[in-house]
Amino acid sequence: MRWTLLVPLFVAAAAAPAITTPPASRSSLPWIEDDAPRAFAEAKSKKLPIFVEAWAPW
Amino acid sequence: MRAYVFTDPTLTKRAGQFVWLSIDTEKARNAPFTKKYPIRAWPSMYVIDPESEKIVLRWVGGATVAELDKIFDDGRRASSRPTASTDSLAKADALFSEGKYEESIPAYRAALKTLPKTSPSYARALESLLFDLSTERQPVECASLSRSSMPSLRGTVAGASVAQSGLDCALKLPAEAPDRASMIAAFEKDVREVLADPKLHLPADDRSGLYGSLFDAREDAHDKEGAERVAREWVADLDAAAAAAKTPEQLTALDPNRLNAYEAAGELDKAIPMLEKSEKDFPDDYNPPARLALVYLKLKRYDDALTASDQAMAKVYGPRKLRVYSQRIAIYQGMGDETAAHKTMQDALAYAEALPPGQRSESTIASLRNQLGSEPGSAAGPCGH
Repeated sequence: MRWTLLVPLFVAAAAAPAITTPPASRSSLPWIEDDAPRAFAEAKSKKLPIFVEAWAPW
Repeated sequence: MRAYVFTDPTLTKRAGQFVWLSIDTEKARNAPFTKKYPIRAWPSMYVIDPESEKIVLRWVGGATVAELDKIFDDGRRASSRPTASTDSLAKADALFSEGKYEESIPAYRAALKTLPKTSPSYARALESLLFDLSTERQPVECASLSRSSMPSLRGTVAGASVAQSGLDCALKLPAEAPDRASMIAAFEKDVREVLADPKLHLPADDRSGLYGSLFDAREDAHDKEGAERVAREWVADLDAAAAAAKTPEQLTALDPNRLNAYEAAGELDKAIPMLEKSEKDFPDDYNPPARLALVYLKLKRYDDALTASDQAMAKVYGPRKLRVYSQRIAIYQGMGDETAAHKTMQDALAYAEALPPGQRSESTIASLRNQLGSEPGSAAGPCGH
């Protein structure tokens, strides 16, 4: 499976890290980083849908 | 995704089709977003209609560039569709997008009946349904659907994903299930075929996931030699991918997979130089020291583990800091310092309670309170809160 499910963090103390996401790198796409209000405003003005990648640095 | 897929230059042609929003779910400033759009699995990708602010398409997990192309096309279609669409796939996608996984199961089953198996949307719908079944803990249905879907998906990326989902679900079948052993054997064969297929070009982390499932299957069968053989292949595959990495980001992205493989192979000490290099390449990233702490903990090198944990603790943020606290408690317990372990657990509880809505987890808080309350010699309930 190519996803990591949400699990309570204290269920398994010191469990192995999950399959994860690397640090930011050189993307081919013009991402707006961590600014949802700006993305929504821009999408409304440009009449474009928003593509979201929700990730975590672990 | 960020190191290997979103860097693909062929994606630049998509730049003007969406507004692209990247959300680090650990950052407090994104808590309002994660409160409004709860995340159940990482990574998750959404297409959101900015007017209604509704998710019109959700994809859970990693994707190849080819799969992303389908997601983009389906996402654009979904965002331009009337909200009261009667299309069966649109209905299923809408339920899935709202996180109504139980309800989206019959909806996706209905949609799959209407879609030709060659349709670009078929594989996406099938993978979403398998996620539903896995999330809703329905391994019998998940294994059965994966089994019946395999013949039409052989030799495809979706087939690789279905083979792995099938194997993972088969391993969760009750021990008394009459077809458990035959299901596991069939999916192991499928996974082996996927790994041996030179035309598939699966990303290294996807291949690693397949090896991990194969390893679990051999462990499940109490086949020590078989598990060791898989672990050796797993390490070799990832070491080859690491040797071929073109950037430090690509190399570091393999760390968690390599760590799992080294542990499976009983070669955990090999992870130490790997993580030390990542720590040097990415001095602001808490992951390398956090992983080093875990390795030292497992090797019972508690002083080194604590030093690495100190470094991780100074850099970590968001809900994941609780994982570092958790490791730290285990380190103190390994050292026999129950006082420090108890104090760290109190600190963890205070931190968990202070997280904003969208990041705060009531189940984590309850678990911590329960652990503090159940410690020998402690009063019921956490101290100092």
